[in-house]
Amino acid sequence: MPRRVLITGTSSGLGQQLAEHYLAGGDVVIGCARRAATIDHPMYAHHLVDVKDEHAIATMLAAIRADHDGLDVLINNAGVAAMNAFALTPPAAMHHIVGTNLLGPMVLTHGAIRLLRKSAAGRIVNVTTVAVPLRLAGETVYAASKAALESFTRGLAKEVGVFGITCNAVGPSLTPTRLTNGLPPAVRARLLSQQAIAREGSAADVANVIDFFLRPESNLVTGQIVYLGGIS
Amino acid sequence: MEQDAILSIVLKVVEQANLARVNSQRLEVSPTAPLFGPASPLDSLGLVALLIDIEEAFDQAGHPVTLSDERALSQTRSPFRDIPALVSYLAALTRES
Repeated sequence: MPRRVLITGTSSGLGQQLAEHYLAGGDVVIGCARRAATIDHPMYAHHLVDVKDEHAIATMLAAIRADHDGLDVLINNAGVAAMNAFALTPPAAMHHIVGTNLLGPMVLTHGAIRLLRKSAAGRIVNVTTVAVPLRLAGETVYAASKAALESFTRGLAKEVGVFGITCNAVGPSLTPTRLTNGLPPAVRARLLSQQAIAREGSAADVANVIDFFLRPESNLVTGQIVYLGGIS
Repeated sequence: MEQDAILSIVLKVVEQANLARVNSQRLEVSPTAPLFGPASPLDSLGLVALLIDIEEAFDQAGHPVTLSDERALSQTRSPFRDIPALVSYLAALTRES
């Protein structure tokens, strides 16, 4: 039976590539984004959802319950970043970043636990960033929101273990996506120089870690944060 | 929903939950039974599991509810501390929906 995989932020970048990866593997993928679907596949369903919108999330989860009778995997991928000096970051931007990167995944996960609970191998995977351990100047709010998401990951793992659900996070290193394309070359070079393996990552590198978390045999792997590129 | 119908669903879920619990950890099945606190064998995670089972039962009965409350784990003020409080809470929720 194919897994039922919910991925946020599937209209572009890593989310779209992850959706295509799991569709290619035969899974049913439910995606959501603020923008229209960019994937056309018989096993793909798209919902127009801003993860900051509680009502839209509830409507999507009700549709998933009706159409798929549950979920096996939730990948909280949708995220926003804004390269800026903290002192020059408007409060509205702070609310937008924390709302999308932290509160959105929390609200979605709150509802999704009810759908994941009956899965034989329920899995929650949060997408974090190496900006957390690197403590990048200019990414303060973004990194803070993701650091909180990591704390959420570790704590939640202890609460959902009773349902046989694992909760882990993957932190991509520098990967060419819409989020990172705006970084100046000097910043990209500095980021790469801090990695143990100094190459840019790809969606396949991220999917490889997520695939490990999703394996039924990984049922004792929970509360873990895995960064790519040798950053720790 | 009528309080009697709500109570009936809640007690059925408690009975069902007891099937997976050892004798010494079974929950009292009565309209006045405690659910959370010193008088109940349920810990916080056990309470979460029971409440999600109750949500599921109400969903199947055509009355979807979400049992989230900031007082959930308060031993004195929790709307889930005992069956009477839970039934009242559910009655209010189903009236709203």
